[in-house]
This record gives sequence, C-alpha cells and structure tokens, in this order.
Amino acid sequence: MSLRLPARVRIAIGALSLLVVACVIGPAFFERDPTAIGDVLAQRFRAPLTTDGSGAWHLFGTDAFGRDVFSRLLLAGRLSLLVGVAGALLSGVLGAVLGALAGWSAGWLDRVITALADTLQAIPRLVLLLACAALWKPGIPTLLTVLALTGWMGVARLVRAEVTGLVERDFVAAARVLGATQPRMLTRHVLPNAIAPALVATTLGIGNAILLESGLSFLGLGVQPPSPSWGNMIAGGREHLVTAPWIALGPGVAVVITVTAATLIGDWLQERASGRTGLT
Amino acid sequence: MAHLLRRSGIALALLWLVCTLTFALVHSAPGDAALLLLPPEADAATLARLRAELGLDAPLAQQYLRWLGNIARGDLGTSLATGRPVIESIRDALPVSVGLGMSSLVLTVLIGVTIGSAQARRAGSTTDTWLTMACTTMYSAPTFWLSLACVAAVTVGAAAFGIPPAWRLPAFALRDPGVLDAGSAPLDVLRHAVLPVLVLSLTGAAGVARFARSAIVEAARGDHRRTALAKGVTAGRAWQHHVVRVALPSIAALVALSVPGIVAGSVFVEGVFAWPGMGRLLLGAVSQRDHPVILAVTLLYATAVIATNLFTDLALPLLDPRRTRP
Repeated sequence: MSLRLPARVRIAIGALSLLVVACVIGPAFFERDPTAIGDVLAQRFRAPLTTDGSGAWHLFGTDAFGRDVFSRLLLAGRLSLLVGVAGALLSGVLGAVLGALAGWSAGWLDRVITALADTLQAIPRLVLLLACAALWKPGIPTLLTVLALTGWMGVARLVRAEVTGLVERDFVAAARVLGATQPRMLTRHVLPNAIAPALVATTLGIGNAILLESGLSFLGLGVQPPSPSWGNMIAGGREHLVTAPWIALGPGVAVVITVTAATLIGDWLQERASGRTGLT
Repeated sequence: MAHLLRRSGIALALLWLVCTLTFALVHSAPGDAALLLLPPEADAATLARLRAELGLDAPLAQQYLRWLGNIARGDLGTSLATGRPVIESIRDALPVSVGLGMSSLVLTVLIGVTIGSAQARRAGSTTDTWLTMACTTMYSAPTFWLSLACVAAVTVGAAAFGIPPAWRLPAFALRDPGVLDAGSAPLDVLRHAVLPVLVLSLTGAAGVARFARSAIVEAARGDHRRTALAKGVTAGRAWQHHVVRVALPSIAALVALSVPGIVAGSVFVEGVFAWPGMGRLLLGAVSQRDHPVILAVTLLYATAVIATNLFTDLALPLLDPRRTRP
C-alpha cells in the first residue's frame, strides 16, 4: 500500500504529534505546580521571555495569579485534548450503535431513532450544550456526556445509510442462509463494512469537540478552575486583554493549531474514503 | 401544493418534538424553579406553597400539556430572575440578533461562495492549497477568541499605532450612549456592527468555502461539461452555465446549513461584544439557571433552523437546472 501524504497532511500530523507529546510528557518536568499560586505580587503579569521576582524564567509570561502560562498551557492541553478525543469517540460509538440499530431494524425503532436525530439536529449544538450544562453540575463528566449526547446524529445517519445498503447484499444473505444469528450477522458481516465513514466523521468530530469544550469552558460551564483548560485560560485572560494580552493568546493559538491539524487530517481521510467507495 | 403542505406538516411535527425534548430535558435536571427562587434556608411549607403557586405540584403530564398550550398561544412564561414576561425580553433582543444574523448570513454566503468557486476553478494549484489552509485555520479558530482579538486590536492595537480615537472602531455595545439624533444614529450602529459582523461572517465563510469548493469540483467532473466543451462552448461559458449553474442547488443548501453555525457564533459574539441580543439573553439565563428563558430561546433558535430548512427544501427544486430546463 503506497502512502504518499500531501504536504499539508504531513505538516498537520507533525504539528499535532508535537503538541500531543508536549502536553502528555511536558507536565512531568515542571518544577512548580502550574495550578499553585505563590507570591502573587512578585510574579504576576510578567511578559513573555522575562524573569519574575523569584528568578524563574517564563517562556510565555505569567497570568494574573503569577502562574507560568507555558506550563499551564501544556497541562490544559492534556484536558482539552482528552475531552476532545473522548467526546468525539463517545459520540462516534453512540452514533454507530444507534445508526446500526436503525438501519438493521428498519421498523419502528428506525423511525424513533431518526426522529430523535432530526429533533436534536434542529437545535444548534452549542445552544443544546449550553442548556444542558446550565441544568446539570458543570464539570468533565457532564461535559463528556453532553458532547456524546449532542454529537452522535451525523455518524448515526452515515452508518444507517451504509447498513441499509449492506443488508441487501449477497454476503449478508449468505450468512443468514448459513444460520448466523442476528447479532452475529450485524457485528461480523455488516458493521465492519459500514464503519469507514463513521471513523472519518469521528475524526472530523474531534476538532469540533475541542472547539465546543473550549467554548463552554470559556463561559465557565466546562472544565472548572483551578484545573486549566484552553477555554478557561482564555476566559482568565479576557479581563487583562489590554494589559497582558499574552495570557489569552497562547491557549487560543493552541486551539487553532490543534483543530486545524485535526480537520486537515479528517478532510484527507474523507477524500480517501470517498475515493475508495467511488470505485466499488 | 401537496408537497408544500407535507413539508410544513413535517416541520411542525419537528417543532413539537423539539418542544417535548426541551421540556423533558428541563424536568430531568436536578432541582426545580421553586428551589432556585427561594433561599436555601426556606422551610418545607414555603417551598410547597411556591410549588403550588407555580403549578409545579401538578402531575408532569398536566404541566407538559399546560406548557404546550401556553406556547401555542405565544405565552413563553415569566423569567425566574427578573419576573418579566419572557416574550418581552425576546421582543427587545430579537431585532438585534436577526439584524446581526441576517447580515452575517448574507456576507457568509457571498464571501464563502466567491472563495470556494475561485478555489474550484484552480483546483490542485498552489493558490488552492493556500486558500484551503487559510479557510481551515479560520474555520478552526474559536469565535470568542477571534472576537477578543478584535477587541484587543481596536483598543490596545489602535492606540499603539497612534490612530486618533475618532477613527477607531468601537469595541463594545450596539450604540454610543451619547448618539441619539436620528441623523447619526444609524451610522453609529453601523460602526458598532463592523467587528461582530466581520467575525461572524469570516468564520462562517471559511466553512462555506470548504463545502462550495467540493460541490463545484464535483460538478466540474460531470460529463455535461465535457459535452459542452466538445460542441464548442467557450471555457468561461461552460464554467458558468455547465458547472456553477449545476452546483447551484448544493450551494443554496449551504444557506440552511450555515444557520446553526451562525446561531452558535452569534452567542459568543454577542457575549464578547456586549450586544443585547438573543445570545446574550441565553448566556445570562444560563448563568442564572433561568429555565423559562433558556427554554424559550432554545425553542426560538430551533424554529429558525427548522424554518430555514423548510424554506430551502421548498426553494431548492426551483434552482435545479434539470427541472427548469427542458
């Protein structure tokens, strides 16, 4: 199999791997806890590339509480990436399961699932997320649940369409004739053939989930301080936009790089997947 | 006509499902309005009295039917936080959001389709790759962060470059408090609208450009273009009439597809730029857990999405060249 990646995909994979590695292993090398507040007056609002009152050097400066922005950025990256990937995966799995059930049953269950998907898609996802986040206790479990519950419809639609088409195919009929049980036919013969578009849609969903997480955390409804996330770091820099713009700059750039890279990779996967299905 | 009725029926059914879902959502959450309204030290008797007053002691089915009936009559309840009828707050906020949303929607589609078709024309070129990168980056930037960057640019940035205050763009609110006379007020609102509309339409346009590009590239692959070229139609005319024209229905569908994105973007934009619209109303209600307002705004947004979907569903066939040409 030849794997000739376009330049933009190679750049995206490189940038994303660098960011992920930095966020995962970076925090292990911190000398100070990035969430601890020390001597606030001597350390706060240091510009990037300067030394604070205690002699510590700060690559990206310090925030309003004198905490190092760079190390917070890496620690926040762990949470933001985790929530983004887990949120997209959960909604992908939920979508695949519901889509497969709908396509396979093709009866009242299909109509119920399709109606539910239509209903959820009529409400802009952010509005739905805001309403849910306001009703339940904010935090990471709520965030993940709500991301999964509001993001499954696209994948479900794709999987349903694939399954509906596959049910008619000869190899599924052959399995039925050979006496395969319903669950076995679904999991061994239908789902493996229907999963490619779901995987692509899930990859594309990662960027979206990271954006939504940062948005909710920015509004104070996502990851709660003192745990840093890119969104709540931007919220923390909002009041000091005029005097210390670097506090909000770094996390914003991190979100843009991550989501851009994830989207470029997802787009490329989609191109490849649609090229392949176009041939068969 | 039958098609129109059937489509409208489906839209209404969808709206009812949205109502039911949001009602279920609010009532599955812990705590109720009475608990939110009263101080934590209130005794059980007061709580029970307030629940009876608000109708919260009735069975859920009865509450649901009463709530649906109220909505059908246009009564969206009263705000828990202010005691003001929700419909009044919405009446104040709606024009702001509709103005912001509509102008951004028009710009989004115009800019996005222009960029997308320019890319499709040069598909595979360096310009195309760079524009794809630029659009993906723009599409990936959080709206709230871009808004903050704009605020910083017109305040600190403009001051750093020594731009006189009279020339600077205002960063916040819908209008200056001092400007009241009819002559300069519209211009003042326009000046205030530049940044919010810019942020909303640029992020939206980036997404539209991505879709428009692939729709037009897809149309350019069709055999009809080769046929047109073979019978001697000029390249420019073939592009206009046999490619862009064919892609038009899918491009028009983008109008409906961009509405949820613009709604989501406008929530952040109104929040950061302090615009008194629906988005800000929702954010305020969310922070105060003001259920009736959250419900009403969610319903209104869903209505906007369903209505634009219905409109494009009905209008799209009219744009399809296979139906308009013999």
